[in-house]
Amino acid sequence: MDQSFDLPDSTDWLETPLSLLAPFESSLRCQVCKDFFDNPVITSCSHTFCSLCIRRCLSTEGKCPACRSSDQELKLRRNWAVQELVDAFKLARPSVLELARRENTRLARGEEEIEKPAQKKRKVNHLEEEELQVPETNSQGRRTRSQKSIDSSARERTVPQIVPEVIEDSQDDEEYIPEDGLVACPICFRKMKEEAVFPHLNVHQQEEDSPKKTPTKTASFGSLKGAPQKGLNLPSKQPERLPAINYSILKDNALRKKLRDLGIPDWGQKQLLQRRHTEWMNLWNANCDSKHPKPKRVLLQELDIWERTQGGHATAPSPFTTSNNVMRKDFDASEWSNSHDDDFKRLIANARKKSEAKARQTIPGGCPSSSGQKEPQSQQGAGLPVDGARVEFGPDTDGNNVIDLSG
Amino acid sequence: MASTVAQKRLFHEYKNLSTNPPEGITAGPVSEDDMFYWEALIQGPEETPFEGGVFAAELKFPRDYPLSPPTMKFIGGGVWHPNVYPNGTVCISILHPPGDDPNHYEHASERWSPIQSVEKILISVMSMLAEPNDESPANVEAAKMWRERRAEYEQKVRDEVKKGLGL
Repeated sequence: MDQSFDLPDSTDWLETPLSLLAPFESSLRCQVCKDFFDNPVITSCSHTFCSLCIRRCLSTEGKCPACRSSDQELKLRRNWAVQELVDAFKLARPSVLELARRENTRLARGEEEIEKPAQKKRKVNHLEEEELQVPETNSQGRRTRSQKSIDSSARERTVPQIVPEVIEDSQDDEEYIPEDGLVACPICFRKMKEEAVFPHLNVHQQEEDSPKKTPTKTASFGSLKGAPQKGLNLPSKQPERLPAINYSILKDNALRKKLRDLGIPDWGQKQLLQRRHTEWMNLWNANCDSKHPKPKRVLLQELDIWERTQGGHATAPSPFTTSNNVMRKDFDASEWSNSHDDDFKRLIANARKKSEAKARQTIPGGCPSSSGQKEPQSQQGAGLPVDGARVEFGPDTDGNNVIDLSG
Repeated sequence: MASTVAQKRLFHEYKNLSTNPPEGITAGPVSEDDMFYWEALIQGPEETPFEGGVFAAELKFPRDYPLSPPTMKFIGGGVWHPNVYPNGTVCISILHPPGDDPNHYEHASERWSPIQSVEKILISVMSMLAEPNDESPANVEAAKMWRERRAEYEQKVRDEVKKGLGL
């Protein structure tokens, strides 16, 4: 549980100059579990979810959670492109976030005056443009030129061309043509006459077709080539998928035997057996969608977690047993309002400010009369500065939680 | 305890709500030990008799969240509203799973789906305060008053709001 409190989240970007990456990251996350897509699959209605998430949805409801059209597990197809996007983004994320945060502190130090949101926004956008376009140039350039020259050039130029035209490349190359009039091969960097480059590239092509890789390639070039190949490699020993069972035609004992044969616990009433089998089937079949299937042992552990939280070992039939009973049963209003003093003060102050501003006077004068029945804080509440109030729900005390409702 | 899908997902929602809250809404778990029990504060929508009010509610999440929806209940003083039970429980279509339709009027499209969220629930409740759904009242008295004696209804709501603020 503890580790869940430092879970990376798309909101991590919001307070950095790269706030536009927040929606980008959101789109790489499953709408059901809000985590990065894990073995993403696409439905008949073209929505993408984690394999396990959509299987659980379909086995309870039979409908796509996004558009509610009916679908079947059998029609789910793996979405490798999304998997690669997620994998690549997860790799890049820590360093980009680190960079963005450092930039943020640098900006904060640079501007002593209290930042006006609008001003800051403009600055932010400008920065984003720069930051986002640099990699774009890179990826274009990689096709024809060395990573090194791009890195240096990207910094100097104010460039970013968006249409990948051949002409543009040759224009760029003019900057780099040395005085001898020779150009470098984009792969091995050997200098040669411009006309000679294309015939020369064929040599590299042949080298590539032969099983042995050229050792002269730079690391970045090699890794680029490697990535898509990795995606196409399927593990040779795919585990067999489990078929769905029509539970209604199975007697208790037959179902129990099925579970035993699968190697999962076989105790409990028929309804529990069904639910356990469904969960196992979802875990198992989702694992079949994985590029690197987990061993059965791991799946059994996951089933055990399910057993303890939702299955036969769940503490009670009511899902709310661990809820704070004192809070629910004999709810102590004054205790509660004390603990939420700040929230109340802020919202009340806020509400007063608004109604005063609008001069609608649904609340007479906003003056704190002493007629309040219970809360002492309502009297103090009136003069409280709105922006001074902080709300802290949990262990995050890094200032993320300042909630401003005035805007 | 191992963190489950539900806990992780609730944490993401909590983080999102606290860094980027919709206007007039505050929500989060009461204690970090139990992600399945939340409290929320909702501002009464403007241009309604609820304006100026702050309404506290508890949200309880099932273990198989987000497959099943949470329940929501106003606490610390009732809310006089056709779609809120006298005990504070909120009756709104987004909180009902698509499977069962006890009220026989809700479209499946308005009801709970795993891609809905706490944020969407609270926004729906806010707009429910502004526009009651008359078709299947949870509080018959309030619904009747709303339908037949609108001025009295609005006055009662305003009085409750003032009471709630301690004025």
